[in-house]
Amino acid sequence: MIRKALPFAAALVLALLPLGTQSTYLHHVMVLWMLYALLALSLNVIIGYLGELSFGHAAFFGLGAYASAILTMQTGVPVWLALIAAGLVAGLFGFVIGYVSLRIVGPQFAILTLGFGSIIYTVTNYWDDLTRGPMGINNIPPVTVPGVGPLGEARDYYFVVVACVLAFAYACHALMRSRTGRAFLAVRENAPLAASLGIDVFRTKLLGFVAATVVAGIAGGLYAHYLRVITPELMSLQYMAALIIMVVVGGRGTVVGPILGALIYVVLLEVLRAFGPLRLIVFAALLTGSVIFVPHGLVSLWRPWRRRADPAIRPEPAP
Amino acid sequence: MFRTTLLASGMALALLAAGPAVAQDKPPVKIAAIVPQSGAGAFDGQLALEGMQAEAALVNAAGGILGGRKIELVVYDDKGTPEEGVSAARRAMEQDKVDMIVGGWFSAVALSMKEVTRDKIISVMTSSQHPDVTAKGHKFLFRLNATSNMMSSKYGQEICARIKPKSVAFITINDDFGRLEVDNYTKLLGACNVEIKGNEFYNRNDTDFTVALTKLKSLNPDAIYVSAINTSQGATIYRQARQAGFRGTLIASAGNMNPKLIELAGPALEGVYSISLYAPDSDNAKLKAWTEQYGKTFKNQPAFIGTLGAQAVQVLAAAADKAGTANDPDKIAAALRSQTWPTLLGEIKFEENGQALQNLYLIRVEGGKIVSIK
Amino acid sequence: MDWTLLGQQLANGVVNGMNYVLISTGLTLVFGVLRVINFAHGEFYMLGAFLTYFAMSALGIGYLPAVLLATVAVGALGILVNRLFFWPLRKEHEFTVLLSSLGLALLVTHGAELGFGHDPKYLNSPFTDDILEVGTIVLTQQRVLIFAAAVLVLAATYAAIRWTTFGRMMRATAQNPEGAALTGVDIRFVHTITFVLACGLAGLAGALVGPVAMIFPTVGSWAVLKGFIVVILGGLGSVPGALVGGLTLGVVEALAGGYVSLGFMEAIGYAIIILVLLWRPQGLFGSVAR
Repeated sequence: MIRKALPFAAALVLALLPLGTQSTYLHHVMVLWMLYALLALSLNVIIGYLGELSFGHAAFFGLGAYASAILTMQTGVPVWLALIAAGLVAGLFGFVIGYVSLRIVGPQFAILTLGFGSIIYTVTNYWDDLTRGPMGINNIPPVTVPGVGPLGEARDYYFVVVACVLAFAYACHALMRSRTGRAFLAVRENAPLAASLGIDVFRTKLLGFVAATVVAGIAGGLYAHYLRVITPELMSLQYMAALIIMVVVGGRGTVVGPILGALIYVVLLEVLRAFGPLRLIVFAALLTGSVIFVPHGLVSLWRPWRRRADPAIRPEPAP
Repeated sequence: MFRTTLLASGMALALLAAGPAVAQDKPPVKIAAIVPQSGAGAFDGQLALEGMQAEAALVNAAGGILGGRKIELVVYDDKGTPEEGVSAARRAMEQDKVDMIVGGWFSAVALSMKEVTRDKIISVMTSSQHPDVTAKGHKFLFRLNATSNMMSSKYGQEICARIKPKSVAFITINDDFGRLEVDNYTKLLGACNVEIKGNEFYNRNDTDFTVALTKLKSLNPDAIYVSAINTSQGATIYRQARQAGFRGTLIASAGNMNPKLIELAGPALEGVYSISLYAPDSDNAKLKAWTEQYGKTFKNQPAFIGTLGAQAVQVLAAAADKAGTANDPDKIAAALRSQTWPTLLGEIKFEENGQALQNLYLIRVEGGKIVSIK
Repeated sequence: MDWTLLGQQLANGVVNGMNYVLISTGLTLVFGVLRVINFAHGEFYMLGAFLTYFAMSALGIGYLPAVLLATVAVGALGILVNRLFFWPLRKEHEFTVLLSSLGLALLVTHGAELGFGHDPKYLNSPFTDDILEVGTIVLTQQRVLIFAAAVLVLAATYAAIRWTTFGRMMRATAQNPEGAALTGVDIRFVHTITFVLACGLAGLAGALVGPVAMIFPTVGSWAVLKGFIVVILGGLGSVPGALVGGLTLGVVEALAGGYVSLGFMEAIGYAIIILVLLWRPQGLFGSVAR
């Protein structure tokens, strides 16, 4: 009973979190957490469910951000429509790139995505007329909710983004309990075996990859309209490394893990400000320590009871 | 959480009681120093911060401002990126409640940070050169460095009059700064009949320039104009230009000459001209006091970017004193606009849009030192 | 067509390619034996450059002895790195090992920022500014040195893997760790020596390539990316693959930078890799199955 109620209680707490403080800066940190959580959840579909490593995910995030910003600023499309378009643009690129790359697995797939991501980054950096180049785009209009008007406060954004996170988290959860979800896991664990069972491995992977890129694109759009400034650095490897850290440190292949990983990443860097110049060293040491001592992610600390509850979490065999 | 807070405040109280000098009852004036502390701009950020710290130490040693309040610098890392700059500015304003902000070392950061601080808090932008920082600024925004347009119109004349190349090729960074430089000098040098042979853009994370320099050398220009903000990229370009066998004149972009660059680039930089607001051989008394203080605390050679940080602290301290407040942006902004300020870089005056008017010196590297050419 | 320019750019490309070869040989060795991409590889490149710098300034020794010292020191560091960061995770999923190496990379970079300072440094080699003119082609002596050292080191590594007892142990471990262990190969020893070799090679690369540009604590992230690309292009685990991959990337980049645009140099390099991988997913010299 408690086990069933817990996710709902957690979701409720998450949804009402900003009411607990008056600090607008803490609200800002919370919005960043949720944006990263959304991104990490989407990358988790590729890393955790498909078992492939993508170094190009930040590029889809950036594509969404640029698509949405450019659409609203140059054509006057309302923001909510632009956000959908952001997901579609990122998903379209995801489809083409996934279609080309997904027959290839392992490190070669990782480098293919790195290559495509890098090309998208370079084009963004040099297509000055459209993207304003390395200076980035400023003064992106805020999200406007029909009937409410433009969102001004970080707290209002939080409610929008947390709704997206909860919806996507639930979708992931439901997916992993469905037939398609079981196909994902079968493909991850043993692709030839999955194929012999009649699962179309390529189509399954492509489905997961496109879904992940669509969500990354929407997250990018939300990011653009929240921070109101974007630069090509969004697509850079620093962001990519941060995302991988969130997913793996939190716990890949779980729903809670990436959200937790994003929280750790955002909050830890804030808290560690107290360390001054040692901040990033302490961060790296904690990161490395957690990987070595908790290799299945922080979520695995709860695993004794989680394992029975969620079929998606299963310890993987060593390679 | 509550217990930790209690413990911390208890310890703080104990410390206060134990310390002999409890005369510090006046709250400090908090100035946010938003500088790049990691990433490619980290060294420039360090120089800038050191300049600010040396000047704050001078002001505090002389009794502080507003009748004995000390200046406290609250430092934030913007990583040289607009996104982080925006977050840092928000934290400074909303969480740490600073009185004033100094930042904007890179144009991209300044352009986005000004939207967060718009009409809310006194913001002094420092080394960024993009015209839009002040052209589309706000009523509390001030910028110290000359815009790249102001620099290039002066430098253009000097290049035509003194260096007199017959032809020139550019190697420039791919951003607004680099693009603007190419546009400006193509016009300005074209006007005095210098033939423009070509331009190569590089990226801000490139480390090797041999291929581009080989290409430029094959165009046979009289001079190569090097536009580099980043010290390590600049030093590499000057050295590799010589290593690629280019024997013509090298011209350094305005505002980017510093002692570290000379140390790293070595003989490749000897005799090279540039433009700067900072002439190390000036006999300004404020500059001498700052240079001495800087030398006492820091290992680095004082650099232009450090003097700009110091100048920011200097004018803010003076303006707050004149306005009689540290946190009323309307009064401080009015004070800043009201008069000409004597600073370590000479006299400075702010235009209505917040742009500073300062002296520009033609400088040259001679015997490994920066000297100003009269 | 300007043949002098073409010749010069080809020469630039071949020499840059040899840099890449030096960097990626160690990376490919580690992959061959451990089946992981070591993201901290670039940091040993950075350490090689910095140790050479400090050996010269603190001990007052010349450039070449300093290079030797730095190579040995970084190689020795490989023992520690394997023991602390890789050996304990040998049974874990590859993503875990990958993240451990990423953490190590961050740790070393930020440690270096604190320890060595943010300021860029110039590694003063006596060969950097001296120009060697062969016909119409201009190269610095340093670049010729890099080329020669790379050829030598690569030949030695290849011979060691091919013809020594250790090389046989290494190849056996690469093909089948359990089987190798059963036949009496000390797996742990093989891992250790592989890391010593890989780190030493990266350190040597840093010490030799360092003087060509400036050195700073984050220079390693550049190196590991190039290494990664070359290793995948050439075929994971293959030393000849690293040679051909490195030279190909160097020449392609030089021609792209010289005739298209420096800004698009990297993107064109990536485009070539994508095409190669789509044609031969295992890379130029990779084997199809393990």
